[in-house]
Amino acid sequence: MRNLIAATVAILLLGTRLSAQDWTVPDDRKGRLSTFAFDDNTRTTGERLYTANCKSCHGTPGMDNWLRLVPPPGDPAAEKFQQNSDGEMFYKIVTGRGQMPSFRTVLSANEIWALISYLRSYNTGYVQQVMQLITSSAYPGAEIRISLAWNSADSTVDISATAVKENSSVAVTNAEMQLMVQRRFGHLALDEPRNTDSRGFVRFRLPADLPGDTAGNVLLMARFTDEETFGSAGKDTVIRAGMPVNAASLVAPRAMWNTARKAPVWIILTYLGGVFVAWGFIMLVLLKLRDIYIIGENSSVNKQ
Amino acid sequence: MNSGNPAKLIIKNNIIPDLMAGTIFKSERYRQKVESVSADILRNVSLNRGFLLWMGFLTAVLLACLYAYTVQLREGLGVTGLRDITSWGVYIANFVFFVATSLVGMLISCVLGLSGAKWVKPIARIAEIIAVAFAAVAGLVIISDMGRPDRLPYVFIFGRFQSPILWDVTVVTTYFFVSLLLWFLPMIPDLAIAKDRLPGRPAFLVKAYGLLSVKWVDHEKQFEILHKAMRILLILIIPLAFAIHTVTSWLFAVTPRPGWDSTIFGPYFISGAFVSGTAAVIIAMYFFRVSYRLEKYLSDFHFDRIGRVLILVSVLYFYFNLNEFLVPGYKLKTADAIHLRELFAGHHAILFWSVQLFGLVIPAILLLFRPLRKPLPMLVISVVVLAAAWLKRYIIVVPPQAHPHLPAQNYPVEWILYKPTLIEIAVSVAAIVLVLMIITILSKLFPVLPIQEIAEEEALAKNESA
Ligand code: HEC
Repeated sequence: MRNLIAATVAILLLGTRLSAQDWTVPDDRKGRLSTFAFDDNTRTTGERLYTANCKSCHGTPGMDNWLRLVPPPGDPAAEKFQQNSDGEMFYKIVTGRGQMPSFRTVLSANEIWALISYLRSYNTGYVQQVMQLITSSAYPGAEIRISLAWNSADSTVDISATAVKENSSVAVTNAEMQLMVQRRFGHLALDEPRNTDSRGFVRFRLPADLPGDTAGNVLLMARFTDEETFGSAGKDTVIRAGMPVNAASLVAPRAMWNTARKAPVWIILTYLGGVFVAWGFIMLVLLKLRDIYIIGENSSVNKQ
Repeated sequence: MNSGNPAKLIIKNNIIPDLMAGTIFKSERYRQKVESVSADILRNVSLNRGFLLWMGFLTAVLLACLYAYTVQLREGLGVTGLRDITSWGVYIANFVFFVATSLVGMLISCVLGLSGAKWVKPIARIAEIIAVAFAAVAGLVIISDMGRPDRLPYVFIFGRFQSPILWDVTVVTTYFFVSLLLWFLPMIPDLAIAKDRLPGRPAFLVKAYGLLSVKWVDHEKQFEILHKAMRILLILIIPLAFAIHTVTSWLFAVTPRPGWDSTIFGPYFISGAFVSGTAAVIIAMYFFRVSYRLEKYLSDFHFDRIGRVLILVSVLYFYFNLNEFLVPGYKLKTADAIHLRELFAGHHAILFWSVQLFGLVIPAILLLFRPLRKPLPMLVISVVVLAAAWLKRYIIVVPPQAHPHLPAQNYPVEWILYKPTLIEIAVSVAAIVLVLMIITILSKLFPVLPIQEIAEEEALAKNESA
């Protein structure tokens, strides 16, 4: 009997937990702030990112035309959405939940802050607070700086992390680092994550056949995997470490999916040939009708 | 006679004005036959009260339905049941049905005509009338499915050779013209016969006969030319008819939806077309036989023969159905399984099984019995077959769309489960009314059976028995 009551209570509790749609953000993440001040520039960037990544679900802010998903994405201009602190918004965009995708590997921290700056432009009462330093629980009060060096000779990347506080600086040791390359959607992790050594250094080897842009440039991004401990400091660098890739545009050659001008030759010939032959014969038949007419006219003239 | 050209021989024996029998045209017997046959057939060529009332009725229905279309034009396709997921409904089902039914012109005139079946002679023109009427309206039906019909010219301005739509528009137009010629050319001798035998008919009609008979004087050379022209058309119509319905099937088969992802869609559509077309011809034959009092020319014998054709094409279509459903039904690949379950035991099961049974299996079995190949039972069977043929097109077009390969999640259910609205039904009825109007005009203003050919055959038959 007691078991039954316990089970019932448990189910009830579970029920209320499930029905509570609240999306709670860990306390230490709530207060997170952008390191730069929001301005028209960041808002423009944010709008572009919003259109590309969010609009399909969240709709045009202020129009309440978000996709009817369950739970609902909600309108970014609505009060429920704007109630989120900057840190809460950041956390939700990074982690995602249910149908809301995680943008952790898709957008950089700066891009997410730019997005938030755009979303906040729909909130007239909003006053931004800026944080100068990225907090790190391991190095309280310090600013963590990451540098990245590319050795073309052996195709390796050396990354060093230092925590700077006032005038002193120490190496960030034993911190797991991840190196990623920016791809078209999301980022590609290179190698396994590695820990920094006692001097704060970590070395990654780049594959020889890493595809770059037409010049061989790739955007490398170094991050701590454990953002909570080491903060979200990162380093984004464009270097010429990849293979130049001259991907032919898919719409350059003649193809089935291309425009009429770039249709495959065989299909143009088949179409035009078919039309020509069919209508050629139709014309021939019409000419024969003319012959019938002429014969008839001549023979009736003859009779008279 | 034995000129060594078998093709010519075969054609000559059938639906083409007989060129070798030139002497028969000068015989007294032939002349008598022309008088009696033309009297029977031309009796129906008139703008009598029945015709005017019937056309008036059709016009009234058409206008009412066109009002529905103006609503659609003004408000957009939102007034239909078409939505994002199921974006093709009764309009496209109607279109496929129309194209299918029009294919019977090719089946009767060419396949049967060229293969030496003599009995198709009186039926060939009826088949062509049906082909012309359905092909003509098929194009219009497509336009009714467009949200912006004013952009129709874009198909030609920006049309892509790679798109089945461009091919479809081209092929439907060409097929319509060739069917029109196939209806018109064999009628030229009849028009010449008829133009002096229509007392009391409106002057414009007599004048039109004069013009359309292109100075036909039964000259031997004229027969020869007509013969050649018909041979060109009869051969041309075969690839065209295959093209028109294969391309229509490709509109579906190249679109990635479970129920359409089929390699046999072309022959599946064509064999199905023969079934609905033959049923339409039988209905028309019955109607002309009774209301035009042509029992003598559309005899029990003709019904018996076309009944056998219906059995044959039904068996053929059944074979393709077996392939189309058994193979995916055996493998039940994820996407196919959802679709097939809906058809076999789900939302569309009753419709699916009634169509397969009452529209295909049972009619074919019933027609095996000779007493049921009489005009009246065949009329009843054909009406059921034709109605089922329409519903079959609905089954082909609509259910597969509810299960796209990328799941349609979190949409309002009415965006996925399609239901035609009243407006859509009215606009579809308008298309059917238009078909009936064209059939009425072609069969009431012009001889519905080939006078010259029937007279010739009767004269020859008498010759032989003499
Ligand atoms: C695939 C659809 C989809 C996309 C794309 C999407 N979201 Fe969401 N979003 C959702 C859904 C669904 C929720 C509600 C999730 C929940 O409550 O579990 C949501 C919730 C949110 C929330 C929390 C809202 C609140 O009221 O607390 C934020 C903030 C958010 N999204 C921002 C974004 C941003 C910024 C982007 C673009 C980078 C984006 N979303 C892209 C579907 C999406």
